Amino acid sequence: MKTRIKEFRARHNLTQEELAKKVGVRRETIVFLEQGKYNPSLQLAHDVAKALKSTIDELFLFENQKNDAHHTLKCVV
Amino acid sequence: MKSKNTIKRIEKGRLVGILVVSILVIATGILYSVTTFMKGDNIGAILGAIIAISILAFALFAFRRGNRDLREGYPLHDERSKRVMEKAGYKTFLVTLYLLLAIGFLSEDIIKFRDVSQATSVAVGGMALLFLIFWIYFNKKEI
Repeated sequence: MKTRIKEFRARHNLTQEELAKKVGVRRETIVFLEQGKYNPSLQLAHDVAKALKSTIDELFLFENQKNDAHHTLKCVV
Repeated sequence: MKSKNTIKRIEKGRLVGILVVSILVIATGILYSVTTFMKGDNIGAILGAIIAISILAFALFAFRRGNRDLREGYPLHDERSKRVMEKAGYKTFLVTLYLLLAIGFLSEDIIKFRDVSQATSVAVGGMALLFLIFWIYFNKKEI
């Protein structure tokens, strides 16, 4: 799983600490989320998306989503 | 829904609880060391003292870190830390079954335990050590 949390966090000028406090988790959780090393619960994914004024779909990219995007690109080419 | 202050108070209480339990475990370790030393088993006494000192160091570290996190507004536990604990817990349980079997088989010929309490101490100590190892492992690994 890949995430775009870092990118969205930078857009909103938020540090990892600030985002962690906003969603009520420990800083390590945000670090692991950004690295794609933690599969969050639906509730946490929703909270993070809300804090970054985004959607879960925009923030989290799953394997099949990446393949779909690759396939679409191939079809277009 | 609990307010932030209530959650903070509960977590502070939990932190104090951890400290109290740690102090009790350390006191037990010291008592064990002293009684073992008085029985003439110096190695057992030294081992007991090392375990008590290690627990003391770990408890102090955990208490300081937890207190700092609470002051800065972070929760003591979140869903990731709880998941790490759960995973470490069930792996420890499974491996402990093998540890107990090994202690049972080996105590027949290879390891000579002084009495049942010594074998129990090894089992409990091993379980604690296994939990620590699994906790560190799952804390670093993708979950």
